[in-house]
Amino acid sequence: MSFRKRSVVVSQPGIIAAVSKDEKVAVPGVRPSPLDGRATISTGTRSLDGLLAGHAGLALGTSLLIEESGTTDFGGVLLRYYAAEGVVQGHHIHCLGVSEAWARELPGVAAAGGKSSRSEEKKPVDDKMKIAWRYERLGEFGVGAARERGAPHTSNSSGSATPIFCHDFDLSKRLTLPSTAQLHFTATQTGSILDSSDDPTNSPFTKFISQLSTILSSSPNYIHRVIIPTILSPALYPCNSSQPAILLQFLHGLRALLRKYPSQLTAMITLPLTLHPRNTGLTRWMELLSDGVLELAPFPSTAISAKTAPGASAMHEEPPQGMLQVHRLPIFHEKGGGGGEASGFGDDLAFALSRRKGLVIKPFSLPPVEGDAEAQGGRPDSASAKATKFDIEY
Amino acid sequence: MSTRIPPLVESYLALPPSSLVLITSVLGASSNWLVLRFLHHALLKQGEDAQNETKVLLMSFIRNLAFWRENSRRLGLDLDKLIASKKFAFVDGLSGLFSPNQAPTTRSGEILLRDSELSYVSGELQQSIRSLSEGGGKVIMIIDQLDLLLAAGGDQVSVEGVCDKLLELRELVHATVMTVSADQPLVEVRQTPLETNHSAFLLGLAHQADLAMSLRLLDSGTARDVSGVVRITAGGQAAESGKSLERDLLYFVGGDGVVRVFERGQ
Repeated sequence: MSFRKRSVVVSQPGIIAAVSKDEKVAVPGVRPSPLDGRATISTGTRSLDGLLAGHAGLALGTSLLIEESGTTDFGGVLLRYYAAEGVVQGHHIHCLGVSEAWARELPGVAAAGGKSSRSEEKKPVDDKMKIAWRYERLGEFGVGAARERGAPHTSNSSGSATPIFCHDFDLSKRLTLPSTAQLHFTATQTGSILDSSDDPTNSPFTKFISQLSTILSSSPNYIHRVIIPTILSPALYPCNSSQPAILLQFLHGLRALLRKYPSQLTAMITLPLTLHPRNTGLTRWMELLSDGVLELAPFPSTAISAKTAPGASAMHEEPPQGMLQVHRLPIFHEKGGGGGEASGFGDDLAFALSRRKGLVIKPFSLPPVEGDAEAQGGRPDSASAKATKFDIEY
Repeated sequence: MSTRIPPLVESYLALPPSSLVLITSVLGASSNWLVLRFLHHALLKQGEDAQNETKVLLMSFIRNLAFWRENSRRLGLDLDKLIASKKFAFVDGLSGLFSPNQAPTTRSGEILLRDSELSYVSGELQQSIRSLSEGGGKVIMIIDQLDLLLAAGGDQVSVEGVCDKLLELRELVHATVMTVSADQPLVEVRQTPLETNHSAFLLGLAHQADLAMSLRLLDSGTARDVSGVVRITAGGQAAESGKSLERDLLYFVGGDGVVRVFERGQ
């Protein structure tokens, strides 16, 4: 805000163009990509921002499809962070299929985030001294991520001029929705279940698309985030919605809107893979119509507790809770895709969810072998038990 | 200028009369860079006389003109100027096909499809081919992801219908380039109508094609300096006449849009 005021004072009264340009930059939560300067917004999860092919955020006008196998809902957590970031930045949120109750469970902004992030910034430097040279590549990823992490904060400390791009959220808190929050909810059940199943042309999506396009055309200065949790889940959608004609027409229409408003709209969709596996044609078409495709493969819960002990005690960090695979990245793959540089495409990535740091994505590395830990003069059992308990607690 | 087109691919970009080139892509290995090379090759090397002039009709079902405009500018092509001089026309199959409240088109040379009905689509295409070919010259038709129409069109779009209309359109133009997805789940499984239709369509095209260029990811995982593999083979049509061709080349698309194509081990 103060940045805008200053420029108005400094610039000469006659120049209107410059002022309007400044206003464009001042849209909260938007920053230009370091790669090509296109406008990006934060997904609310730092390590996910850092993953998106060097753009350091989700480019406006693109969409992300997050697939998840099993019964966990890590994708839903990513959606909540994405929504919470939007609410904090004053963006419009459009949810399909869920009710207001969903928005009441968004994570709250963590208090005193500055201190913890500063100590985090120092950490990678220490790590680099210790790691062996053959992990250099993994180190690079970490440095890249640290740069992502560092950039908003260093600018933040130099003065309150630049607003925070990505906030820290705390999963144990609840976000109090401001009265000005722009949340739009659209139900997917178009009538009683028995009615809608008889009429194949009755799409649960048409209302959403038409509402979205009217809102977009009427409010040109706002950023909009589209949130579609567990698309095609039978709990939320009538059974005709998984017909290719209905579903793909909706995704195509959404893609058209994303391209029509390339400076206003982004979308994030989660898809349960157990219901719609990746080897079906329908899922592949959904992937082809999305700009970015990520797959979450959580470890079975027994594996977490077994791996917790050596992982947490040796490295003081969260043990991975699953693997993340990048199948497609926005803009990057649309151009043809480069090598794996800076994108994490094809790398082994793991994710861990913690209360304070949110979902952290980092290169997967196996914890030291059990025998090694014992050779290092094994730790007392109570320490590892504590770590296990803490992790399950969130 | 010639450096913008990788030398190893350049010989395949020339389109003999009434030929069909099929480009297949998979998730993560998109065909856009190759389509842009076809555009560049056709539009930038213009002959002096109007009779041999090459014109391009591009129809895209999942990308809009802004995307093509931005990326062809990097290659030195100004699509807006080419539209104005009637050397290029764009049919937008994204913006209005399945989304409501679209403003009607304002410019000639840029057509917005508003319905997925097959005869309507081919009618619009025929009309723009005719208006392009006014004043001589040969028209090259590039259709990007026609398979979307087949997948999302529902009951109004059948494989036979699409193939029939395609043959009709091919009669009107000098040569045709098609891009189609060839992901494994779409081609190999064949359980749902979506999958059977897709594989029938793709196989039919492959048999008609004179040249097939299939893009895929590197089989052995990812590498820093390789984006994917392009396999260039003679299509069914050319194989019948006894020509054989088979090349497996690696390609790399840099962040700046520059493409390198090279042999293995090079």
